[in-house]
Amino acid sequence: MLRQEINELLTQTGPRTPMGELFRQYWMPACLAEELPEDGCPPIRLKLLSERLVAFRDSKGQYGLIDEFCAHRGVSLWFGRNEEGGLRCPYHGWKYDTTGQCLDVPSEADNSSFAENVKLTSYPLVKIGDVLWTYMGDPATQPPLPEFEFAQVAPEQTYTSKRWQQSNWMQAFEGGIDSSHVTFLHSGGLKTDPLFKGAKGNEYNLNDTKPFFEVADSEGGLFVGARRNAEDGKYYWRITPWVMPCFTMVPPRGDHPIHGHFWIPIDDENCWAYSFDYHPVRALTPEERQAMIDGHGVHSENIPGTYRPTANMDNDYLMDREAQQRGEYYSGVKGIAIQDSSLQESMGPIVDRTKERLVPADSGIIKARQKLRKAALALRDQGVTPPGVDPAHHRVRSAAVVLPQAESFLDAARDDVRVHPGMPVASV
Amino acid sequence: MAVETSLLSSCARAATAAEARFRIDRPIRPARAARIIALDERAAGIARRAAAVEWASAQFLVCEGVAGGGAIGDFLLRGIEGEPVVLEQTLAGADVVVMLATDDRGAGCAYALGKACWERGIMTAGLVLSDESGADQAVAALRPHARVLLPTADETDLTELLAALRA
Ligand code: FES
Ligand SMILES: [Fe+2]
Repeated sequence: MLRQEINELLTQTGPRTPMGELFRQYWMPACLAEELPEDGCPPIRLKLLSERLVAFRDSKGQYGLIDEFCAHRGVSLWFGRNEEGGLRCPYHGWKYDTTGQCLDVPSEADNSSFAENVKLTSYPLVKIGDVLWTYMGDPATQPPLPEFEFAQVAPEQTYTSKRWQQSNWMQAFEGGIDSSHVTFLHSGGLKTDPLFKGAKGNEYNLNDTKPFFEVADSEGGLFVGARRNAEDGKYYWRITPWVMPCFTMVPPRGDHPIHGHFWIPIDDENCWAYSFDYHPVRALTPEERQAMIDGHGVHSENIPGTYRPTANMDNDYLMDREAQQRGEYYSGVKGIAIQDSSLQESMGPIVDRTKERLVPADSGIIKARQKLRKAALALRDQGVTPPGVDPAHHRVRSAAVVLPQAESFLDAARDDVRVHPGMPVASV
Repeated sequence: MAVETSLLSSCARAATAAEARFRIDRPIRPARAARIIALDERAAGIARRAAAVEWASAQFLVCEGVAGGGAIGDFLLRGIEGEPVVLEQTLAGADVVVMLATDDRGAGCAYALGKACWERGIMTAGLVLSDESGADQAVAALRPHARVLLPTADETDLTELLAALRA
């Protein structure tokens, strides 16, 4: 249960809201690099933190993220012409560069300085890995670039997809640290999904449906440990890192690629779920990459040419009651990603958390909400830089390990949850 | 794949955002009869401060020790005002026990209480708020039975947890 004002604090990320200001402290994914595939390609519309923006790649290969609307009379620059060195509004021909600076106002005299004084809001847009990242905060406090491992390994070792989710970002994010739903909702996938199946750890998952949890602070957020019984009186631990505000990783399974998510607010009722898979040691196999493209594992099958899942709320997520009966899909919905999105969207665009009945097993969620709230208020009231801004906080990994009962997962796996470039993940 | 066409009214997508948000508005009863048991001196202070807030049914206690083998009658338990409390009675009707430790002095109680709750099917949660000296033994003693353990808790975690549980 959360009081209504705290639910509003956590779910509202528009300009000048406390959570909105918190998000504006971080570099975050703005779009996939594939959305702007070449110099001078068509611009794309995108909305982030309730701001409507246009991203484009100019004729020289520079990336820009600027206000969607022309300074003249408010036309959407998505209709713009991507010309030599800038984006030109098709209405009266005003032209802007990637920083939002107006370069040309055709109605003015040739030697007029009018254009110099016109500048649209703009944010940096930087390609790292398969993602174009932006920072929407005060330029004076722009932090160093992000250092998440999935975006730093060689291109052949990583794959990122995204899907539109029709719910507030918190609903999606809370699923990312809610380890206890996996044994139910995703149980079918542990046996059949090409990117999950076959790991020894899956047996522990399926044999012990009542995990124990430990929730511990990390420098950038939390580590949530879920513990299940293994053989010989040992424990199987699945460790999920959260880096504030919205980066989570799923504990690995065997030698499968390791995966995770970014949950990015579009506005208060929609978000992007970015899903990545990478292997720190080797290239993804052609079969693995194809499975990801086909929407297996944490990825989704999207309507071609869009980032909207094929199975969505307009078609009841292609609910298959017979597969539900057979136990093939526990909820009757196919695929890990849509199993999550279907249930999270079913809660409504912004779930009313005053009506929840949480249990102690939800402690990861309780603690994460508290950390977000405290960080947002400390930023607002004292200007404190929140955890997760420092790139050192990004260098975490999930892990799946078997430990003797007496060992604390934090001590025993301290090294396993840090990034060691080129070294394998700790996985069972 | 059998996909049936849904009637609009049964579709996952409510017709309007207001409809999607709609919930039957009826007061929700307290979900959990919670007992909060402090395992050491500083933990008792934290429990006392938390007890000053109004709760639906939470009861705050201090465990001062466990005599003998940790049988149900062996616990030295007091209420927050210092009155003696019988564990057997306080556990009857409880469905969650939150244990609070700030150092290793409560480790013996932690294990024995965890076991007593486990045998009665009562869920336990462990909050450990330690300073530099640490509370490794308390954490280890809580671990076997606590469904949830917060080894790096701070004082607000207690009230947040109790509020979330509608205690
Ligand atoms: S509205 Fe863009 S140039 Fe006039
Ligand atoms: Fe999930």
